[in-house]
Amino acid sequence: MKTEDRFDLPQGTLDLLIMRVVALGPIHGYAIAQRIQQMSREALQVQQGSLYPALHRLEYKKLLASNWELSETGREAKFYELTANGRAHLKTETENWKRLTDVVGLILKGTLEGLS
Amino acid sequence: MSWLQRLFARRRMERDLDKEIQFHVESQVSDKVRSGISEIEARRLTRLEFGGTAQIKEDCRQSRGTMWPESLVQDVRYGLRQLRKSPGFTLIAILSLTLGIGANTAIFTLLNAILLRPLPVQKPSELLLFGDGQAQGSTSSIPDGSTRLFSYPFFHDFRQKDASFSGIAAVDSSQSATKASIGGAAYQTAHVDLVSGSYFSVLGVPAFLGRTIGESDDVSDGAGPVAVASYSWFQRQFNGDPSALGKTIRIQSHDYTLVGVARPGFYGYTVGQSTDLWIPLSMEKAFSRPGWNGLGDKFFQSLYLIGRLKPGVTATQASAETNLLFKQILRSYLGPQPSQRHLDELAHASIQLNPGGRGVSYLRYAFSVPLEILMAIVALVLLIACANIANMLLARGVARTREVAMRMALGASRRRIVLQLLTESLLLALLGAAGGVALAWKASAVLLSMATPGPNPVPLNLTPDMPVLGFTLGAAVITALLFGMLPASRAAELEFTPALKDGRGSSSSTTRGALPRSLIVGQIALSVVLLVVAGLFVRSLINLSDVETGFDKHNVLIFSLDSSTANLPRGTPEEIRSVQLQEQIEDRVQNIPGVKADGFAFFTFNQGGWTDEVLFQGIPRTQSNGGEVFFNIAGKGYFSTMGIQLIAGRLFNAQDTQMSNKVAVINETMARRFFPNGSAIGRRFGIGETPDHPGEKEVIGVVKDAKYSSLTEGTLMAAYFPCTQNPGFYGNFAVRYAPGANWQEIVSRTRHAIAEVNSNILVNSVGSLEEQVDGSIATQSLIARLSSFFGIIAVFLGCIGIYGLLSYSVARRTSEFGVRLALGARSHMLLWMILRECILLLALGLAIGVLVALSSTRILKSQLYELSPLDPTAISIAIVAVSVMTIVAAWLPARRATKIDPMQALRAE
Repeated sequence: MKTEDRFDLPQGTLDLLIMRVVALGPIHGYAIAQRIQQMSREALQVQQGSLYPALHRLEYKKLLASNWELSETGREAKFYELTANGRAHLKTETENWKRLTDVVGLILKGTLEGLS
Repeated sequence: MSWLQRLFARRRMERDLDKEIQFHVESQVSDKVRSGISEIEARRLTRLEFGGTAQIKEDCRQSRGTMWPESLVQDVRYGLRQLRKSPGFTLIAILSLTLGIGANTAIFTLLNAILLRPLPVQKPSELLLFGDGQAQGSTSSIPDGSTRLFSYPFFHDFRQKDASFSGIAAVDSSQSATKASIGGAAYQTAHVDLVSGSYFSVLGVPAFLGRTIGESDDVSDGAGPVAVASYSWFQRQFNGDPSALGKTIRIQSHDYTLVGVARPGFYGYTVGQSTDLWIPLSMEKAFSRPGWNGLGDKFFQSLYLIGRLKPGVTATQASAETNLLFKQILRSYLGPQPSQRHLDELAHASIQLNPGGRGVSYLRYAFSVPLEILMAIVALVLLIACANIANMLLARGVARTREVAMRMALGASRRRIVLQLLTESLLLALLGAAGGVALAWKASAVLLSMATPGPNPVPLNLTPDMPVLGFTLGAAVITALLFGMLPASRAAELEFTPALKDGRGSSSSTTRGALPRSLIVGQIALSVVLLVVAGLFVRSLINLSDVETGFDKHNVLIFSLDSSTANLPRGTPEEIRSVQLQEQIEDRVQNIPGVKADGFAFFTFNQGGWTDEVLFQGIPRTQSNGGEVFFNIAGKGYFSTMGIQLIAGRLFNAQDTQMSNKVAVINETMARRFFPNGSAIGRRFGIGETPDHPGEKEVIGVVKDAKYSSLTEGTLMAAYFPCTQNPGFYGNFAVRYAPGANWQEIVSRTRHAIAEVNSNILVNSVGSLEEQVDGSIATQSLIARLSSFFGIIAVFLGCIGIYGLLSYSVARRTSEFGVRLALGARSHMLLWMILRECILLLALGLAIGVLVALSSTRILKSQLYELSPLDPTAISIAIVAVSVMTIVAAWLPARRATKIDPMQALRAE
């Protein structure tokens, strides 16, 4: 883990990341944390203190559904998957995010050019 | 899972959460072990990385959205534990709240039942009453102002012409308490209402059994000898047996067929009266009433009219049309050539349409202002109780500082702490309210019976219903906020470390200071106001009790008789039999040992009145003699029975028979107003503004003035007519007995004598004249007693507050006093030092209290008899009482300070 590459997630993005990960198939909390770390090439390490409240909140909002299944280690774990609502929400949020980052990127690029 | 399911599956959720976190922990540990770290080291590292699982679980719980009911349940259980820990405080608090909230609820119960509650009719908001319903009985004068009673022809004609109402109901304003016999059985008292055929349909009261009175029963004189019973009467007489329908009921010598039973819960249009039977107005002839001349009498006005608005018509529109029609119809009644005087009176005649969904009530008229006054008084008492509890809570808050600090250190937010403390206050308030409701239920019934003394209890339903319970709940919540908010927010503003170390909270003067003392000042001020009010009412009552009645109220029994079942002739020459019976009764009772005098009378005191104007032959009408004269019908012995003195001429005697000259005895005022410079004896007058029989009555005697209908009335003109010339009035039979005689025996012998003369003349009740006089000021007496009671309670509560605060303060400053004493201070200086502060608070409270009292007692003026609302005696007594009690309450704990042993005090620190 390269500590220099760690940074704070803007608010609300954790939910987005979790949903993106869960969209790939039913998965339990520990695996979600691992996956995010993997997919971000070790740059992002989600704290358990943020992960689980976020999972529960998403479940309360009915964007995720949960089920207790046997995990690969043989113990029972709580597996989450996206609901239809969640899928729709993920699509809209992803589009919003893309649009936002494009706009911000545009402005920043413009400023930088202007500055240089 | 839905929100609700979540709540109940809490335990399972907790288990799941645990399992989930555990799984993560184990997975992390195994991963570390797999990468080569030892298990112990792996666990340690994982634990470090994880942080506090408790916090994670708490955050998860919060995001579940079920926090607040869960935390509420938690707070309640915690609160109950805390309350159990200090039983003394809890007991005092709950008792004060029970008394305070209970008193408020009791008064509100009465207020609700008398003033606010709508009748159990259909859509009460659509009903409009013609007039204000504040008169009862009948009148024959031409309407010349706001009219409240109407005649049957007017009801009939108005209905035909009006367009604003979908229906109009009429009910006679006097309910008859008469005797009814079912199918020939013994006579029993029954309360009968005369109503129009439209009554039940306009009000929207359906029948429970059979049918209600309809238009066909009211279509012409004598058309409908039917009766409808109230549900409760039906239950009492027939036990719910439906075969009661069709039975014959004999009322006042006429037979009626029972055709139906009204819906349960409906007791008639008058609140405070319970109707047993309803009879159509067409049967009015069968009910003997003075002055009644047939249903066609256009000016015999005795009915209440209630109209139901047509949908889409506003009250204003209806009012305009009603007044127009009123004048039109009345004008047509005055005939082709009305006098100018009549036309003038008509010009001022009007009908005020009032909301009619709550019925009419004499109780409302008599009690609305007293109830409002009482409501204000008990609200103030509750405020004082709240101030006390707030002070106690503030003191407790200081003692619980360590507990609060600990909780905040463990992560509770300030908001949570405040909410929990408020929950404790709400618990106290709700417990007090529960006790209060029970207290109010009994208390309101007791209050009502004290305010309406007499043989018959007023039938008013006082069981707590939704509005009452809602009020109690609201009172509890407001009370809890009032006394709990400040201490709760105080307790939550702390600094951690000093609080945790010290445990008892800082004893700096800032926390000691303004709040508890201003509460005390407030309590003292309120107590002063309440005592001043109580003092005013008590003095007013004393004034009332001292009023000269003009008659001797002691040692007189009043028998209320009912001759309706005796089938006595009236209106025919055989009427003389009725008179003879009266004379026989008078003679027989006169012979009972112990009886000094007896006599019949239409009215004795405080029973209403029969009034009219009078015109003497040869005397022009002036401002002073043109007013109403109170008439009464009296037996020969009435004046000596009542102790009314004769001034000139003579009283009624055997000379005055049915055949002889019509005579009258008048009172001083009447004689003076008509004949200021001469004698009234021998002069003749007629009854009415333009008497039908001018000069019919000859004055044979003048008696001293008396009070006739209330103690507060001014000087009135009165004239008495002999029973022999106005037969048939058996209402009151008065018997004066020698002081010290056995009145119970006289009562039974009198009953016996009456029964001997005619066994069908029934005795409804026996009372004493003294009861009647005292009963006429029962309300004022009750208010005086209640306001004194609450005033004293207020002062007591305030004293408890001062005593508590000062004891606590002395206890806390024990070490300080110890030091002072050790340094040589004298104990009485210490005493003075403590008392000085209290006296300052007392003075401030007195000043504020007196100012508030002076500026606000003005509104009581109408309730006080011959007493200024700024009466200095009442104010001084209040000041002295509050001062004495406050100083005593302060002196007791202050004295304790002087008994401190300096050495012990210093060591205890």
